[in-house]
Amino acid sequence: MNVIEIKKLTKYYGESRGIIDVSFNVEEGEIFGFIGPNGAGKSTTIRTLLGLIYPTSGSAKIFGLDIVNNGPMILKEVGYLPSEVFYYDGMKVIDLLNYSASFYKKDCSKRIKELAEIMDLDLNKKIDDLSFGNKKKVGIVQGLLHEPKLIILDEPTSGLDPLMQQKFFELLEAENKKGVTILLSSHVLSEVQRLCSRVAIIKEGKIIKLESMSTLNNENYKRFKVEIESPVNNDYFSIAGVNDLQVNEKTHSFLFKGDINQITKKLANVNISNIWVNEPDLEEIFMHYYSKEE
Amino acid sequence: MNIYLRELIANRKSIIIWSVSMVLLIVMGMSEQSALSESGSSMADMLNNMPKSIKALMGGGAFDTSTAIGYYSMIHMYLILMTTIHAVMIGAGIISKEEQDKTFEFLMAKPVSRFNIVSSKLLAAFTNVLIFNLVTLVTSIVLIGSSFMGDVVKLMLGMFLLQILFLSIGAFLAAYKSKSATGLGTGILLITFFLSIIIDMVDHITFLKYLTPFKYFDAKTLIIDAGFNPVLVLLTLGLTSVLTYFTFKFYNNRDLGH
Repeated sequence: MNVIEIKKLTKYYGESRGIIDVSFNVEEGEIFGFIGPNGAGKSTTIRTLLGLIYPTSGSAKIFGLDIVNNGPMILKEVGYLPSEVFYYDGMKVIDLLNYSASFYKKDCSKRIKELAEIMDLDLNKKIDDLSFGNKKKVGIVQGLLHEPKLIILDEPTSGLDPLMQQKFFELLEAENKKGVTILLSSHVLSEVQRLCSRVAIIKEGKIIKLESMSTLNNENYKRFKVEIESPVNNDYFSIAGVNDLQVNEKTHSFLFKGDINQITKKLANVNISNIWVNEPDLEEIFMHYYSKEE
Repeated sequence: MNIYLRELIANRKSIIIWSVSMVLLIVMGMSEQSALSESGSSMADMLNNMPKSIKALMGGGAFDTSTAIGYYSMIHMYLILMTTIHAVMIGAGIISKEEQDKTFEFLMAKPVSRFNIVSSKLLAAFTNVLIFNLVTLVTSIVLIGSSFMGDVVKLMLGMFLLQILFLSIGAFLAAYKSKSATGLGTGILLITFFLSIIIDMVDHITFLKYLTPFKYFDAKTLIIDAGFNPVLVLLTLGLTSVLTYFTFKFYNNRDLGH
């Protein structure tokens, strides 16, 4: 069963583009990744799903209900964590959480305590005094306290330290095991890679790829930068799978996709003084792979 | 209900400050009057002999300032100015604040309709306006004495009609476009207020009085002249209803945050 069904959803803000013909489905019980660079249309899609803005054309359904006509009905079972959390002045954490809970017709006090404990959140502090990361935690608890069937997260990890990020992912995985569906939007490939079973990639308002994570993992890109002591030709690393090769005196830098052993073999034959291996950011992958495909 | 209570709490401080200022304004105004009446008729004569344009700034100059109610009627236009500024500001603020502070993403993700949000907020603003009116009413009666209660109640009813009108103007502007609604609303208010004073100064433009709500229920009309004009009461209520209808309509159809 599809929890979210999006059909040719298009949104223009006046003349400027939001999203164009976005279509994808999120199945019940899956963690679906929604990935793309900033400004690609991730937040526009999510805001349309939540009813903050209205589609220019196309339609979407959540739990089989049309988003434009059934907002409040749908939102009973949806938890949302916005990318930036802003809260009312002068409220304590617990006040805000109780206010949030007051919109749902169930007792959430036990769940609030549980979540606050997991996320290590002090309920009696004033929200204004909290750091960005701690405000984010308030957002997480606020989004999960009513035990929603669908969780929508927009750039959830920005501002969280790695330890909290870890706890948060574990929390999401635990919810997912209970059958909760999750839509996770991000511009960080690695967090989507870690959690999601399927992923939609959005660029300039259009979905350019929709596939399972396992397929995408096979397209594992690495960014290499090597400083070589021994003299080598500029095309030394020019083998299959290498892209965007740049040589600057001793420094060779390139994007590689394929069997890493091919590179390590090449490296073993030369005398290197330094090496950097990085996960390329999404922009790079877009530039060197997806732009060619189109 | 939860949104209503939340808004009452959020506006608690503001209504207290407005009320205290109102009490001080009336106390100061009326203590001036008691000093004035003690000095005998000379002061009243002086006031009466002032040029028309100055009198216009002091409530049209039709009142016997040696009596408490007469003097009160004179300062009444400034009480109205204060309560309507409060009304237009709370009307605009209560609708636009969530977007300005970006808390709308929190609120809109809750299972609550926009109709419900707007009605709770308007009800909370209405409650604040009513409280402000009652504070003014009680303070006035205490200071003027209960013998003029009928007149004061009349003036407060007129003031209340203007308050809800300006509340709806503020809310309407904010629902149409959340940015600068407060500024625009206050601007409209001040322009119509000064128009009402200019009408008092200049003789042959009284026909303009329909353009400014401040002429609808001014003290002179209510106490000395005919009392409430049913046409103007209906006009005010009609305008308020239409503006409120479009507040709901615009807010419901809008892309929030843009």
